[in-house]
Amino acid sequence: MHQNHAVTRRGFVAGGLASTALAALAGCGKKNAGSSEGGTGAGGTLKYYINNPVAIDPYNTQEDQGTQVEHILFDALTDYDWAKGAVVPKAAESWESNDDDTEFTFHLVKGAKFHNGDAVDAKAFKRGFERICDPDMPTPSEINYHLAPIVGYEEMLSKKAKELSGVTCPDENTLVIKLNAPMADFPTVCSHPALAPVPQAALDDPASFLKHPIGNGPFMMDGDWVADQYINVKRFDDYYGEKAKLGAINFSIQKDPTTAFREFEGGNLDMAQIPTGRFGEISEKYGKSEDGYTVTKGHQVLTGAELSVYYLAVNCEKITDATVRHAISLAINRQNICDTLFEGTRTPADSVFPKILDPGMDNSWPDCKYDKAAAQKLVDDNNLAGTEITLSYNSGGGHEDIMSIIQSDLEAVGFKVTQESQEWASYLTKLGDGSFQMGRLGWIADYPTMDNFIYPNFYSTADNNYSKYNNPAVDKAIDEARQITDEDKRKEAFRAINKTLGEDMPIIPLMFYSHNWVGSSRIEKLYLDPQSKVDFATASIQA
Amino acid sequence: MGKYIVKRVLQFIPVFLGVTLILFAMQNIVPGDPIKLIAGEKKLDPQTELNLRATYHLIDTDADGKPILDESGNPVETPLWKRYTLYLGGLLQGDLGVSYQQSGKSVSSILMEKYPYTIRLAAVAILVEAVIGILAGMVSAIKRYSFWDVLVTLSTSILVAMPAFWLGMLLQLFFGIMVKDWTGGGFYLPISGAGGPTAEFNAGMYYILPAITLASVSTAYTARIMRSQLLEVMNQDYIRTARAKGLSRRATILHHALKNALIPVVTYIGIDFGGMLAGAILTETVFNWPGVGFETYRAITQRDWPIVMGSVTIIVIVVMVINLIVDISYAFLDPRIRYGSSKDQG
Repeated sequence: MHQNHAVTRRGFVAGGLASTALAALAGCGKKNAGSSEGGTGAGGTLKYYINNPVAIDPYNTQEDQGTQVEHILFDALTDYDWAKGAVVPKAAESWESNDDDTEFTFHLVKGAKFHNGDAVDAKAFKRGFERICDPDMPTPSEINYHLAPIVGYEEMLSKKAKELSGVTCPDENTLVIKLNAPMADFPTVCSHPALAPVPQAALDDPASFLKHPIGNGPFMMDGDWVADQYINVKRFDDYYGEKAKLGAINFSIQKDPTTAFREFEGGNLDMAQIPTGRFGEISEKYGKSEDGYTVTKGHQVLTGAELSVYYLAVNCEKITDATVRHAISLAINRQNICDTLFEGTRTPADSVFPKILDPGMDNSWPDCKYDKAAAQKLVDDNNLAGTEITLSYNSGGGHEDIMSIIQSDLEAVGFKVTQESQEWASYLTKLGDGSFQMGRLGWIADYPTMDNFIYPNFYSTADNNYSKYNNPAVDKAIDEARQITDEDKRKEAFRAINKTLGEDMPIIPLMFYSHNWVGSSRIEKLYLDPQSKVDFATASIQA
Repeated sequence: MGKYIVKRVLQFIPVFLGVTLILFAMQNIVPGDPIKLIAGEKKLDPQTELNLRATYHLIDTDADGKPILDESGNPVETPLWKRYTLYLGGLLQGDLGVSYQQSGKSVSSILMEKYPYTIRLAAVAILVEAVIGILAGMVSAIKRYSFWDVLVTLSTSILVAMPAFWLGMLLQLFFGIMVKDWTGGGFYLPISGAGGPTAEFNAGMYYILPAITLASVSTAYTARIMRSQLLEVMNQDYIRTARAKGLSRRATILHHALKNALIPVVTYIGIDFGGMLAGAILTETVFNWPGVGFETYRAITQRDWPIVMGSVTIIVIVVMVINLIVDISYAFLDPRIRYGSSKDQG
């Protein structure tokens, strides 16, 4: 109360006069409630929080913020259905592959249109893919690696070719894609929202396409993207598939989750992230979602597991002894981290595969759990006490608290631990140089395949292999697994690779991320999938 | 006067070159590789990284834009002086480069989006500062040692001592949340953003709290400068003469004292306006204001050097021009000041 009083005084002195003058100047007051909620007629307007995206043009859509907008403006060839656990048709109504999975033929839905009325043909896909590979774009795409398996990719990237020779269009509705090596999971790769068709307009006026992309999805841009302010989209009535229920979506760009949550509490947002430390109170107030992914009235807090893992990369060239890695892993009380720092919303990791990737199967690594006695025994038997370990991480983002718990856990069994934090830019350079011993990282999968957790992180020459893990047997097994056409056998092969990784432990998985979103009571139904994409096409809101 | 302006404009050149060169050199000192940062945790493939470096002129390229490699197959880093010359060359053609982080967007288009917000906010804040600061200073000088004088002196001390971003947060708490609770949602002020088509308030409402925050410290200074100047002027002989010839106190102050007392105040407000146009990093960050200060701050954290260079380049020009205008305006306020005359230099 005392504090309130002080604020009042200051408010009077500094603000009283000024705000009166300004209010008069501004032409007073609040808009009437009706105008903001009416939206564009039937269906209502959903207000969704995002950060300012890097890009909403598919040629460079990368992080979840931009993807949230881009994936409803554009339809890729396929989609991943989480209920079925399988790839399903989207812009392509069917596809087939040759015997060794090096050539895929996609048959496009006939009569589909772009938001500007142009037809969505096979050439539009080829055009979209080539923009991604073209090094002469204003800035070259940073997500071109999705297309790396396609024939002609290298030539285009190194400016030896102007087109992607592996992609051909025998007729308007047929797209043929040739790969360098067999890859049975390729249709799942094609579900990535960035691998979308673009109309000729993208080439004619690339600058305006960045701010106002024209796609083939269920929603279209309503005005330009206003940086740091908003992106408005509205229902596309000529959509080839089932039309969206929502009339429009207002992506409200906020600078951080705390600001966004204040706006949510003020009734100005329908979806926001829950600020750290407030999970208990908020889930009590708004009710937990039944499946963790769907917002319905009274069940508005989402906690479903995501397709991502938080881990420590161990530089295998610096900590060469696998026993040390095992001992470290056994010494860390992951449940304690999840409970004390994340109010139990995240779950302890027991391998590199989030459970949702392979439901019902046990993929756990034997030593990816908390067992202090076993850790102690390993330390004692191998004379590891006093081994010096440097824990590197990027400052901010709450990593300090996690690392402090890990430090005390490791010291409890006899390791000598020093922390070393740097801000993000410097930290990334350090990881890239390999001048670290053990460093924090997160992996957010691009596609829901086991391959996407294994290949980029553990193949000896893969770009993202920060651990510098080099096991020729694993490389060979990955090459082989990628060629297995039978779905079940392929999964079995990747499970076996995962098991080998559990023995070598080139990384120490710590936690699986989970959703921490809350929806307003205006939402009738909204589904946020494990890859953090909202299914806006089926979402509905009280109009 | 004409000669003076030409001289001042010519002085812009070394200042400008100095500031941009220092900033350019700093890019090499600050840790963190901006190109690696573009990709984040997911590393870029080596060819893409090369292409990006070539696009941003960080490595040497041949006529086709292909990276030149040395004998051992490594790219050749473009030396600092060459990059700086390239940058200046682009600048002369109005090309500020392309952002590292905001894929494909040119720096000039980004700054063009942001500057209107900063200018409008600065204009409202300067208005608040001038009106309230000058009025409060006059009141406290004229009614010296009265309740109003004490109130102004005390509150300006508090405002000067209080960090502006903290005041901003208090205002957000008070007008956005507490007042809202007390009035049951009947009255409150927007606390973030600058409005938009689906915004809850009229666009003007969004200026109130950020403008007050931005103006707070300088309003306090304005009031203090105004007070001391007016007191000093009122003790001078010509004021006594004016009073002795029978002018009323009000007329003396308005016609004789005020104009002279205003000179330092106008200087201060003018220079302050230049500073505000450079973007108020703290205020814009607290209020999620999409201006050039917020953009610059974000660009620094993301090592988005083209944006940092671009906004600083513009800021340097804006501040230099405003300072020039302030200096010139002296001549109009005080006829005794004559720039460029031989006496002035003697």
